[in-house]
Amino acid sequence: MKLAVVVQRYGADINGGAELHARYVAEHLAQHADVEVLTTCARDYVTWRDDYRPGPDVVNGISVRRFRVDHVRDPHVFGRWSHRVFNDAHSHLDEMKWLDAEGPRSTALLRHLRSSDAGYDYVFFFSYRYYHAYHGAKAVPSRAILVPTAERDEAIGLALSPRIFRGVRALMYNSPEEKRLIQTVSDNHDVPSVVVGIGSEIPLKPQAERFRQKYGIEGRFALYVGRIDQNKGCKELFSFFLSGMPALPKGLQLVLIGKEMLPIPEHPRIRHLGFLDDQDKFDALAAADLLVMPSYYESLSMVALEAWALGKPVLANGKCEVLRGQCIRSQAGLYYETQAEFTETLRAISESRGLNAAFSANGRRFFQQHYAWPVIEQKYLDILARLKEDDAKGVSHRGMDPDPGWLAKRRKVLRPANDVLAELPFGPVLN
Amino acid sequence: MADFNIRTDAVDVEQIMRQIRARIESKRGVDYTEEQIQELASVKLERFLDPKGVRSDLVEQFRRVRDLKLEPFHLEPELRTGFDAEMLYGTHRGILRTIRRLLNPLLKLFFNPGTLIHAVNKQSGINTLFEAQFQFLRHKTQQRDEVDVLYYELVHNLVLELTRVGIENRNLKMRLESLSSRMDFDERRARALETVVQYRPGTGPSREPAQARPRPSQDERPYQQQPRPAPPPAPEPVAEAVAAGPSTTVGTGPSTSLGTGPTDATSESNTARRRRRRRRGRRGGRGRTPGEAMEAGGTSTEPASPDDSATPPHGDPTRDAAMDDGADTDADDGPSDGGPDRDDSGEEPEPSAQ
Repeated sequence: MKLAVVVQRYGADINGGAELHARYVAEHLAQHADVEVLTTCARDYVTWRDDYRPGPDVVNGISVRRFRVDHVRDPHVFGRWSHRVFNDAHSHLDEMKWLDAEGPRSTALLRHLRSSDAGYDYVFFFSYRYYHAYHGAKAVPSRAILVPTAERDEAIGLALSPRIFRGVRALMYNSPEEKRLIQTVSDNHDVPSVVVGIGSEIPLKPQAERFRQKYGIEGRFALYVGRIDQNKGCKELFSFFLSGMPALPKGLQLVLIGKEMLPIPEHPRIRHLGFLDDQDKFDALAAADLLVMPSYYESLSMVALEAWALGKPVLANGKCEVLRGQCIRSQAGLYYETQAEFTETLRAISESRGLNAAFSANGRRFFQQHYAWPVIEQKYLDILARLKEDDAKGVSHRGMDPDPGWLAKRRKVLRPANDVLAELPFGPVLN
Repeated sequence: MADFNIRTDAVDVEQIMRQIRARIESKRGVDYTEEQIQELASVKLERFLDPKGVRSDLVEQFRRVRDLKLEPFHLEPELRTGFDAEMLYGTHRGILRTIRRLLNPLLKLFFNPGTLIHAVNKQSGINTLFEAQFQFLRHKTQQRDEVDVLYYELVHNLVLELTRVGIENRNLKMRLESLSSRMDFDERRARALETVVQYRPGTGPSREPAQARPRPSQDERPYQQQPRPAPPPAPEPVAEAVAAGPSTTVGTGPSTSLGTGPTDATSESNTARRRRRRRRGRRGGRGRTPGEAMEAGGTSTEPASPDDSATPPHGDPTRDAAMDDGADTDADDGPSDGGPDRDDSGEEPEPSAQ
């Protein structure tokens, strides 16, 4: 079986969520099929500027084919189109222009997909909101499998989103919340799908002491791993931690790992270590009392899964439905929405040994049951087998809806994406 | 937080969260989130002010001030400039001007155009004056609007702060209630503990010598008066029994060791008398050591009769009885070792040291 993985960026040094997801999937599916990655030459996700050389490449033993992007992204143009389609009544054409401004547009990649249509049995498209996914799925709808990595953001409220969700052969969801979100917005219940998520390469014996010695960290600490950004809820985290400090367990520190995009308060109990490699990250997780995930929007938190794999409880932002749902489903973490809840939950996890031990055991079990690589790989193989079976049976596939006519696509009859988003259900999926 | 009863296979995150929220609520009252506080701050003032209850049309005032704005107004040039005969009869057409001039005497036969011109000229002046007045008023209104905006914001912020203070006040009230109840509980507990003085061997500073040193005879006690007949020897077995008992509770129940030792009635009554004397000396001569009291009043610290000392001078008899019993313990081993020290320092051992 020959598979293609199409993603906006690809490389061993690219650590974006969807890109890393795609790389892991490609590397693991390569054990079962012939996998080729189709991507752009971009390394920078803001501009999509060509950084890699176009043409064939090999990354971690996986064959990669890179294509030039047609134009770099202009943030101002993109911002203007975003404002229009997210906030005002707009037309189908407006959404297409938004998607073009979003990028990364690579007509060479699409041409390759069409020309080598017969070559790939199935094509995995990552991240529904980008140009390559929409137009790629439109080019090969009968072979398109979408890994949407959708979050509760405005793009899900655009009219083009349901078209791609309904038009592909199958969907690989990251979480039940994502599945509900997409099914509500697109009514695509008849499209084969599975909630699969992603695994992680967990080291067998992370060295907690090595981490403590290397970075001079003593005592207990809560760990945050990720970009230190306001969008990730870090500002609120700092505020809650500093305000609740008198009530927190004595000596409990907050250790931050990741690139600093936000001023970090200077306080002896807040330590920022910068960007660390995987070994140090896992050592840090092993040494931590718990992991804090203050992000408001996540389609799936890999670092939370890694923490659970290492038996560490997770304290998540309850306003993020996915993280909240994961905490409840795993029974391995708590969540907060207010200052008081942050303080009390942090105390509960770090002070109650029984609770900590229960979370630790549940987290390990949750990871092994749902996110260990054999489980993930099997889900991918199952969906491929099902599609193959459908193909053999000649089950028809409707494909993507045809584009509206010349006049229809110019009529401003589409609702603002924010309005659509506001009507979507919210909260963890527990059943 | 260590009170969660957790079994590894039975943890329920939602249940824990409910417990945590209930605890927060009971601790702080109704918990306002930051968003709620911001919402309270951002909503319009009308939601906070009840026009019926407050006074006046404050809300209406704010609304009117907010809605009403004087638009800029400027007089047209022709209304601003003066008015004269030339304007009345003037024209750019030369022939017409000539004809008007020729017919002007005829027009004056019908009415006086001079008066008309004067009136219109005056009106022009009035217009200019009104425009100046209007500009002045507009400028003043603009200033007032700015002040009103500040005023509105001030009231708005006051409402916000008031809301915060209200929340904090409620929280503090609840904390105060909690502390009061705890204090009451502590007081009750302290009172209860006063009735039950527990002895633990080796814990008090006065215990160790009781076991290590031989008990001095009654004669060696500095506060024992020489003229008085020497009482029989102190009941050693009592002290030994007390010292040997692992947790002898004194004076509250049948488990006490006092009274069960091999002492006869006379020695017991003498011992009790001594104890009472000492206690009375303690009560009556606060600030003075028993030795000083002796020097000052001779036998004044002595009760008139043993029976007199049996009735407490004041206070709760039950409590005093309990204190009596406590003093018994003190009498049994206190004087044996603490007596000389007490004399040296001039202080008595605290009952709580028991």
